[in-house]
Amino acid sequence: MSSLLKSRIYAYLGESGETDGLIDECLEEIASTARFRYAYKTFAEPPEFLRREPYSKFLEGTRGVILSVMTLGRETDKRIGVLARTDMAKSVVYDACASAYLEQLADEYEERFGEDRTYRFCPGYGGSDIKDVKYIIELVKPEATGVTLTESGYMLPLKSMAGIIGIGKKTEKTCAGCAQLAHCNYRQEGKRCYGSENK
Amino acid sequence: MIIFDGGMGSELEKRGLTGIPEELNITHAEEIKAIHRAYSAADIVTTATFGLNGIKYHGKYGIKEIAEAAVENARASGKKVFFDVGPTGAMLKPMGTLTFDRAYEAYAEIAEITKDIVDGYIVETFSDVYEIKACVLALKEHSDKPIFATMTFDSSARTLTGSTPEIVALVLEGLGVDALGANCSLGPRELFPIAERFLACTDVPVIIQPNRGLPRMENGRSIYDLTEDEFVYWTKKYISAGVSVVGGCCGTTPEFIRRISEFSGRKVKSHKTQHGTSICSATKQVVVENVKVCGERLNPTGKKKLKEAVERGDMDYLVDEAIKQQEAGADLLDLNVGIPKIDEAQALSAAVEKIQEYVDLPIQIDSSDKTAIERAVRIYNGVPLINSVNGDDDVMDRVFPIAKKYGAVVLGLAMDERGVPKTAKERYAIAKKIVERAAAYGIPKHKIMIDTLVLTASAEQSLVKETVEALRLVRRLGVKTALGVSNVSFGLPNRGLLNKTFLTMAMTSGLNMPIMNPLDGEMMGAVKAFGVLSNIDGNAEEYISTYKDYNAPTAAVVTGSADKTVANLYDCIKKGVRSQAAALAEKELETSDPMTVINEVLIKSLEEVGRLFDGGKLFLPQLVSSAEAAKTAFEVVGKRLPKGAEKATVVLATVKGDVHDIGKNIVKVVLESYGYKVIDLGKDVPVRTVVEAYEKYRPLAIGLSALMTTTVGGMEETIKALRAANCTSKIFVGGAVITADIAKEIDADYYTENALEFVKVLDSITK
Repeated sequence: MSSLLKSRIYAYLGESGETDGLIDECLEEIASTARFRYAYKTFAEPPEFLRREPYSKFLEGTRGVILSVMTLGRETDKRIGVLARTDMAKSVVYDACASAYLEQLADEYEERFGEDRTYRFCPGYGGSDIKDVKYIIELVKPEATGVTLTESGYMLPLKSMAGIIGIGKKTEKTCAGCAQLAHCNYRQEGKRCYGSENK
Repeated sequence: MIIFDGGMGSELEKRGLTGIPEELNITHAEEIKAIHRAYSAADIVTTATFGLNGIKYHGKYGIKEIAEAAVENARASGKKVFFDVGPTGAMLKPMGTLTFDRAYEAYAEIAEITKDIVDGYIVETFSDVYEIKACVLALKEHSDKPIFATMTFDSSARTLTGSTPEIVALVLEGLGVDALGANCSLGPRELFPIAERFLACTDVPVIIQPNRGLPRMENGRSIYDLTEDEFVYWTKKYISAGVSVVGGCCGTTPEFIRRISEFSGRKVKSHKTQHGTSICSATKQVVVENVKVCGERLNPTGKKKLKEAVERGDMDYLVDEAIKQQEAGADLLDLNVGIPKIDEAQALSAAVEKIQEYVDLPIQIDSSDKTAIERAVRIYNGVPLINSVNGDDDVMDRVFPIAKKYGAVVLGLAMDERGVPKTAKERYAIAKKIVERAAAYGIPKHKIMIDTLVLTASAEQSLVKETVEALRLVRRLGVKTALGVSNVSFGLPNRGLLNKTFLTMAMTSGLNMPIMNPLDGEMMGAVKAFGVLSNIDGNAEEYISTYKDYNAPTAAVVTGSADKTVANLYDCIKKGVRSQAAALAEKELETSDPMTVINEVLIKSLEEVGRLFDGGKLFLPQLVSSAEAAKTAFEVVGKRLPKGAEKATVVLATVKGDVHDIGKNIVKVVLESYGYKVIDLGKDVPVRTVVEAYEKYRPLAIGLSALMTTTVGGMEETIKALRAANCTSKIFVGGAVITADIAKEIDADYYTENALEFVKVLDSITK
């Protein structure tokens, strides 16, 4: 298991030797049941919705943008639901492991886009509106991934993400601009929600 | 051999037509007509209406207006016109929020508009077998035109929602479509094995419309490289394998279709298949052969707790029973909610919907109420088994039309209006009558199973062997058999021994489906042992994998906490060892009264856990483990409490529009660990349901959760409705995006940041 995967999981669940066995067990199950899918589309010019803050700043100096949608599929959601009935503690751990695992698989998939790119910025970060996910869905048309948008504007399956990646500029995640910055529990403990250790 | 047309999207792109394709039927009718004309080498052309349904399309034109224009455009080809019907783009309940009925209505609207102006329907690119069921039913019930139905598969040969070609064929053939198969998804080479699987499992004509190979991405666009020659080569292969309808999907052009049109009208190799008796959920198919175990525990007869759960509409109890049976190794589950004075039709379909949310096993729908059966079979995501008919003509005339319409398998009891005949021969005669009557309804043998009926050995000892003998006879009819095994021991001591022995006798005589308790390890063991001794379980693989550790039985394994031993209840809760909580609570009760156990042990221990959690010394999973252990202990101690000493009731719901319920579930287990009685309404809960729950339970508090900013509106609306109902319960809100300010703004009484705080505030209210 990569240390980043584990540090992400610890960021969600707290670091305690007591849960390590359960974390390993959950990750093993997730690896065998999840059906990871990734769909993306490349744009030479940022689509309309990205021409405002905070996206325009994030994309400043890039020469193209990739919009992407990714998911672990409905099997993972279903398993979390069953565990919530039979073993709630495991359900909590499974849920957190699934989120971290999705981030991890997405990171690995995105290596094909080369090194000269930004991190994956998701609507909801840095004061952006989570409802903007709908523009990504409209543009990427991720039918083949099975990701759909509900009327309330969130994605199903639950373990799904929609991201924006700028090409031609290298940036890494920071807390700057985060709406939770002032009262972030992770930061108080010297951690980051995205799992990186030293930023 | 019938030839369909090819890709529409790529042709639009070629002509520089962007925008919503459905609307181009009106804004660029001439161009659309030109594309249809270009495809006139096909036998059937399809309308440019893939995204046209009331759930997906919200544009500036009416659905009727577009549909009619699209049909007129397609008519320009001079060929037969099939109306193209695509998925809604929304996810159905329970994973999503779209109801089966709403999906059905959207497709019924399409059928109503088009039934007199088209030659048929091509239902295509579906990825959810439940959604395609809603669609096909709507089309069939509103039109009598042919329906061709195709789904998409990925390289693992499953649809997005996990259905295999066999499951898709079982469902679509059951619904009576005119052709079924696969489209889009992959290229002709990759789709070929899927076509072969369809051909091997259905008699219905198979339709395959592949993409032009697997695309590669270039500057964000899909580029298809497969040549026309290759496409022709593969089409020829499909035809010689027995595929009856071919065409193209993404990337294919009029030239591709012109090239394959030379095969039009060619005779197709017949592909008659050997059908087994199959039932399925959306993700699991059970072929009834050898021995398959049907779990009997979801039947209220003789089960007081289940009966009470059904009476109060507590579906959670049913779901827990279903999960237990699945985990114990059942192959399918019997479901019966027939108790007096309830609306059985409503209760049965609600139970079906709830159980299929959590359990993959196929369901046996067990009822004698025709309306209840039809509603449950309709809402079922898959092909169920109906339990039951018998030799009574009236009963068969009620049930067979339902089975025929939905493709369900029917269990026939070898008895009639006169009762259960004594001899095996008489029971065989009734079975034969059932099979023949079914045939008259167009229901083939493989859709019928026969139960030769178990009488109790205590009352009818001499007749036990008749039941067994009847199994032998009935198998000659070419149908599979079932028995409610445990009836045999009723009224005798050591029932388990009789049940197990009888099960073995029956399996030897050809019993395929014992309806029994899968939680009974001895009975399940007998099935596994039979598998070895009758040479079904090759190399005893399954048997060995079950019993390899038999000589070294280990303590009950509880995830994550198996290795911990604890000395007393206090430590048990602190360390979250649920498996030992009940026993240790009993032990504690030997020396202390219930209130002391609660106040001095349970609550004290939970308080320490709470302090450790607040201090960052212990984290969420441990907190939840402790709460689960305390909850288990509370269930034991609570039974000894004097009446009136129970804690208050709390209603919890994840609000309308939101299905993120993990936070609510954590709150639930923590509240229960402190002894509160929780009514959990679930997720995506309509406003009305919350108000009804308030009126029914008059709880101390109502807790509402919402994870997304976009669903806070649903929360506000719920609170407004509760206030309008003069709600006197305290309203708590929580969830990732909720703050004290938002809580105030939407008129909640309390905002609590986490589950422990919720308990603290509740305790302070009750003091």
